[in-house]
Amino acid sequence: MLMYVRLSQMREGESGIVVDIQGGAGARQRLLGMGITPGVRVWVIKSSRPGPIIVAVGTSRIALGRGIADKIIVRREL
Amino acid sequence: MLKVVALAGNPNVGKTTIFNALTGLRQHVGNWPGVTVEKKEGIMKYKDKEFLVIDLPGTYSLTAHSIDELIARNFILEGNADVIVDVIDSSCLMRNLFLTMEILEMGVKNVIIALNKIDLAEKKGVKFNFKKMRKVLGVPVVPTNAKEGRGIAELKKTIVEMAEGKITTNPVTPVYDEIIEREISHISEVLKETALAEKYNLRWLSIKLLTRDEEVIKLVLRHLGHEKMDEILQHISELEQHYKRSLDIIIANQKYEFIDSLIHQFVTHFAEHKETLSDQLDKLLAHPIYGIISLFIVFYFLFKFVFTVGTPMQEALDSFFASLGDSIGSYITNETLRGLVVDGIIGGVGAVLSFFPLVFLLFVAMAVLEDSGYMARAAVVMERAMRKFGLPGKSFIPMVLAFGCNVPAIMATRALDDERDRILTMLVNPLVPCSARMVVITFLAGVFFENHKALVAVSIYAISLGLALISALILGKFVIKGEESPFIIELPDYLIPSWKTVIIHSWERSKEFLRKAGTVILAGAVAIWYLSNYPQPVGTGLSYAEMIGKTLEPLTKLMGLDWKAAVSLIFGIIAKENVIATYGVIYGVGHTEEALISLMRQAMTPLQAFILALVTTLYLPCIATIAAIRTEGGTKWALVASLYNLLLATVVGILAYHLGLFILG
Ligand SMILES: Nc1nc2c(ncn2[C@@H]2O[C@H](COP(=O)(O)OP(=O)(O)OP(=O)(O)O)[C@@H](O)[C@H]2O)c(=O)[nH]1
Repeated sequence: MLMYVRLSQMREGESGIVVDIQGGAGARQRLLGMGITPGVRVWVIKSSRPGPIIVAVGTSRIALGRGIADKIIVRREL
Repeated sequence: MLKVVALAGNPNVGKTTIFNALTGLRQHVGNWPGVTVEKKEGIMKYKDKEFLVIDLPGTYSLTAHSIDELIARNFILEGNADVIVDVIDSSCLMRNLFLTMEILEMGVKNVIIALNKIDLAEKKGVKFNFKKMRKVLGVPVVPTNAKEGRGIAELKKTIVEMAEGKITTNPVTPVYDEIIEREISHISEVLKETALAEKYNLRWLSIKLLTRDEEVIKLVLRHLGHEKMDEILQHISELEQHYKRSLDIIIANQKYEFIDSLIHQFVTHFAEHKETLSDQLDKLLAHPIYGIISLFIVFYFLFKFVFTVGTPMQEALDSFFASLGDSIGSYITNETLRGLVVDGIIGGVGAVLSFFPLVFLLFVAMAVLEDSGYMARAAVVMERAMRKFGLPGKSFIPMVLAFGCNVPAIMATRALDDERDRILTMLVNPLVPCSARMVVITFLAGVFFENHKALVAVSIYAISLGLALISALILGKFVIKGEESPFIIELPDYLIPSWKTVIIHSWERSKEFLRKAGTVILAGAVAIWYLSNYPQPVGTGLSYAEMIGKTLEPLTKLMGLDWKAAVSLIFGIIAKENVIATYGVIYGVGHTEEALISLMRQAMTPLQAFILALVTTLYLPCIATIAAIRTEGGTKWALVASLYNLLLATVVGILAYHLGLFILG
């Protein structure tokens, strides 16, 4: 199984550590402000294509469109 | 001059609830200058003193990438606030303190932290050492439960003390690793030579430069010139190569690490990370298929509630205004004056006011959806479908509300956090047929298409909604600048709404509707009354309204509509259901429906009736809607919306008429 994946490829129930955020500065800075930053643990609550993906970051829940979830690189925890 | 208290904080932390608790109902809602972002102001009383409380837009950070953030940041930067109350959600500390650090990093000292939703934090098992927290953060911290009003008195007292300079603070600011710190001091040294040093915190400017903040780069460039600026940017590139990432990531990262180290000093028990009830509900309600089904069920019951409760009230109000007009009219002997008061003012304003129950209930329904947390889920479920037309998922709510009334719908666009999305949604919103237009559509369909009335009504809805979506695509591409925003939305925990919040919220919003009825709509009603009574009353063929109608006839003839239709459409601008009533006036049969029906059947073919229903649905929004667009989006967009709809109705009307003639042979 791949260690490094895009957040959009993670399945429900999986968790991992964010390692990088790609994409334009605008989207990136919104993610940073909402607590999605390298080093942070995310946990996929719900991911059913083609809908948005819902992740837990600490105690908050954030829904991300597929496009932006593609830009978040995660080291999957096995 | 009143001292100013500004409220800052993440979205959904309870800022509005705190604002209401501080100001009571002494508040005013408007817009920030030049943009469509809501600005709330209110007066806080404390003993015999008064303070101006300003609600800054809810944001997650203070970058230059969104208008909301820029407004909040510039307000703080310009030193406009005597006291800044940073409202944070204590059950989500890490992320909330990020904004706190962004604020403190600007070098402001007059900050108070309202540690809100303390009840939720306690429920999740989080425990604080408040004394330690105040010491670590270096500013006053007041735990609050705004929903129940706990801690508000203490917060007020602290605000007043700080405004009077009785509190000295020593705010903590983030510390970064050696490399970044060295760069910060280096840039600060360079900036020290400039005039910026007098006005801004140099450390803040340097950090923002490192993150390549566009506004700060522009600002510094003006003072530093290209040569030195290039040097700095060159340095930043080298650093980025060193870290192999852009510095905004590195700096945000280190800020979170710093916050983490702070939190561990004053939080004694942390929340467990586990699946919550909200998560389980979301498996259903945010599901691509079950979610959509639930959405339809939710909105079905929402409208059932609104119409079941609202329609009888509307009808009652309608007959109330009619009898009010009659009884007042009997006291006025001067015929002109009676016409003005009874038909113009009471009739015109009454027609719009009778929609008030519907509007209020729609606001209640919306506030319940918002407060319960469901609104965010609706956006998630609709995101993909709406995005196909260049609209964000969140715009679904205003579009749905519009079936009830476009005014609350336009006001609901405030919930969209991107300016482009907001304006686009506002512009296409009038194309969703409201309940007043439903009256016209079902009336005409019933009179002219007895056997196919449902089909005809549905086809008009379909054409109109289709045009709304196509217009969104077109306007989004060619008329409104700006990029589509990526979909990122926080899902708050599901909560039982607090009735107090719901009622205050709905009342605040519907008050604006009433105010409009008293101003713009009153003026419009009087104008229309004048047009229809001078120089001779309508029905004689000599009124201005009829003259305008006849002038327009060559144009409306292209759609197969005569001057009577043109006049009706003019009156429909006050309230769309007037379109039918006007025919009654022109034919001189007043409100007797049967006479009107048979006269209309003689005057129009079914095709013409269809076109009339269609054009009524599409052309100029009613006055109340235009006024709402103007307050929310500005005069320019109100004009664009009006002209666009007018043009669209004309083109579609002509096409549909000729297509109909062709099909019918
Ligand atoms: N349990 C609890 N709920 C609260 C508290 N304060 C506010 N709320 C609830 O939190 C939700 C959001 O409150 P608002 O006041 O609308 O929050 P806001 O920050 O203005 O949110 P936006 O309008 O989205 O910017 C509402 O459902 C409130 O009833 C609190 O202290 N405890």
